[in-house]
Amino acid sequence: MATVEERVKAVTARVLKLDADEIKPEHSFTVDLGAESVQSVELVAMFEEEFGVEMDEDAALSVETVGKAVEYIAEVCKQQGVDVEQ
Amino acid sequence: MRLVLLDSPDEVRRNFYPLALSRPLWELRCGFSSLGEKLIAKVGAGDVAYFVPDYMADAYRTKVERPLRLRSGLAVNDSSVLDGDDLLIVDPRVKADSFNVAGRGPSEVGLDEQGDVLYARVAKADLAKLPTGDIGKFIAAAKAKLPNVRSALPTWQYIWDLVLANAEQITADFAAAGQSGVEGKVEQPNAIRGSKKDVYIAPGARVHPMVVIDAENGPVYIDQDAEIYPFSRVEGPCYIGKESVLFGAKCREGNSIGPACRVGGEVEESIVHGYSNKYHDGFLGHAYVGEWVNLGALTANSDLKNDYSTVSVMLDGRRAIDTGSTKVGSLIGDHVKTSIGTLLNTGSYVGAMALIMATGKPLPKFIPSFAWFLEGVVTKGFGKGKLYETAKMAMGRRGCRWSEAEQAMWDAVFEMTAPMRNEAVKKGRRVMLAR
Repeated sequence: MATVEERVKAVTARVLKLDADEIKPEHSFTVDLGAESVQSVELVAMFEEEFGVEMDEDAALSVETVGKAVEYIAEVCKQQGVDVEQ
Repeated sequence: MRLVLLDSPDEVRRNFYPLALSRPLWELRCGFSSLGEKLIAKVGAGDVAYFVPDYMADAYRTKVERPLRLRSGLAVNDSSVLDGDDLLIVDPRVKADSFNVAGRGPSEVGLDEQGDVLYARVAKADLAKLPTGDIGKFIAAAKAKLPNVRSALPTWQYIWDLVLANAEQITADFAAAGQSGVEGKVEQPNAIRGSKKDVYIAPGARVHPMVVIDAENGPVYIDQDAEIYPFSRVEGPCYIGKESVLFGAKCREGNSIGPACRVGGEVEESIVHGYSNKYHDGFLGHAYVGEWVNLGALTANSDLKNDYSTVSVMLDGRRAIDTGSTKVGSLIGDHVKTSIGTLLNTGSYVGAMALIMATGKPLPKFIPSFAWFLEGVVTKGFGKGKLYETAKMAMGRRGCRWSEAEQAMWDAVFEMTAPMRNEAVKKGRRVMLAR
């Protein structure tokens, strides 16, 4: 199974139409990866679909970088009893 | 005698969504005023009490206690009003014009064909027979213990009934008001077509030069402190509410607008509640628009199908209801915001607090409450918190306050409407994944 980070990068690449290999944990979704506000909503929706979790919109949309998204999603998966590869 | 307005059961109230999500049925408007104001005037009641769904009781109490709305004996969901006086309890769906039940008289309970209570007149002497601590039990006991009569009083069945009756109601309300002439300021040149006795411009109202008021086919009532900018055309029957402003609007027949609305573009046979804006060009026809709505520039709704067949509406997102009318526009809940260029299909339902970002295509006919419609699909968007922030800001700009009671009511509406919204979000996710 792919790790949380790999899956977050894959989803980000698909939504933002980027190459997953070029996405780094320190990248900001908006500044470095060019996510518009509507794409941020789509990213949250696709993360929920990918991991089978429900995320609080305010908390999810306040996450700024790929690395922080990995941490946040791992925590949400833990809270909601979803097994993931770290 | 005390008049008690008792809101209908949930299964009936749903026929008046999305407007009834945030108000009792008697706060819906038709003609010059609300259904409640018409019933109160018809009965001649000075003492009025209200029973609303529990989730909106605190918010409604806050609203009716505003100084301008104070009426003597005001009470919301207070069972103590069921004692101490003759009572006339009325279902707000009853059309006031036809309501012919005397406030005082022997006890009787008027039932419709389905056996539902349309009104209950309870003489003070009979109150001892009834449990006065709970309105539901009180009505059930009244039906069981007091004489029942079959009532053929006409009732409002669906929200679009009010839109379809609006022009006629404006004409009736104008006649009942018994006012005509110019008490406000009318700057020349302008034109009044038809009989001047069919026009009333209230004190404080201002009509700029180059305005046409056409009362040839119905009366025009421009209420206090309303303002009509140049190049507006106002066709009767029409009611422009207090402090509303028309910006070069093509205001076709059958509109009730306001109070405190800002309207431009083309509007026809529509009801617009207070504090809503349709500032720019775009067509709104046979529509019912709630409070605090903002329709972005070039937002337009269809009110007639290309094949001239009757319009259907989905009030629950699943089942289409044939309105029986070829002309029905959009039903737009409170606090809805649409972006520029939004295209609303014939008979569209836009749930309360929904935020629409147009895609250039007509929207789906059902948008759930609290939906963020982005990139052609319903999403959870930025959540209800952001919608509340926007609502607070919009209200603050007009000197109104978003109360805790109001937020609690909207939280309840959010929960009530979650199943429909979640279903639409799931559908949206499937579309996103397929892209």
